[in-house]
Amino acid sequence: MFFNSNKRAESNVGFSHLGEGASFEGEIHCKGEIEIAGKVKGNITAKTLRILEGGKVTGQVNAEKVEILGCMLGNTTSLNIHVGEKGVVRGDLRFETNLSVAEGADILGHVQKAKKDKNKKFDTEKVRYLEHNQRAS
Amino acid sequence: MPSVILNDTIFKGTLSQKDSITLDGTFIGDITAEEIIVKDHGTINGNLNASVNIEVNGNVVGDLNSDKIHLTNFAKVRGKLSHKSLSVDEGAQLEITAQTRKRISNLNKE
Repeated sequence: MFFNSNKRAESNVGFSHLGEGASFEGEIHCKGEIEIAGKVKGNITAKTLRILEGGKVTGQVNAEKVEILGCMLGNTTSLNIHVGEKGVVRGDLRFETNLSVAEGADILGHVQKAKKDKNKKFDTEKVRYLEHNQRAS
Repeated sequence: MPSVILNDTIFKGTLSQKDSITLDGTFIGDITAEEIIVKDHGTINGNLNASVNIEVNGNVVGDLNSDKIHLTNFAKVRGKLSHKSLSVDEGAQLEITAQTRKRISNLNKE
């Protein structure tokens, strides 16, 4: 549904890839797509994040689309989350639009549908209101 | 499978990789790998340690340590190099101190 393993092997142009033998400690900011087959300790911000089988992420994840086919320790915040059949999650999943979990996935943590947009709007309105009041006083 | 880090990605931290890594993005921190290739958009602020080969076609500020170092024509490098064999192409902008590690066979001759 989300991916095609043959396609992925052929085209390594469109996204960053952290290989199996890699272990990274620190922050990752990615404006596009990133695939992780190695070990990462630290927070990740990305548009699309794919944790492959054998991949392990320890830390917070913030993305638009997350696919967890490996191991994810920590909280995940994303618009769309997919957990594959061999996916392991220890931590909270917060999603805004879609969550899909394949049969066999191992999840321990809170799963919550969050409506971020409304909060944001509310916040900006609040700020505007406060600014208006400041100007008035 | 070797790692590839593209233009749109920023890494901050330390990376150790068993095989090869190709960088076209921004990396702040140290890298240890078998082979490190820095492409033209690659910007690295940190030390590179490779056991076999380093090829630079981008920006590097930091020390480079490898058996073989190749700086191509778009390379901009600042730092110390330690190598067994070094090759620099025409047009590379360098601010470096380089040191050749002696091979064991040479040491024996001396």
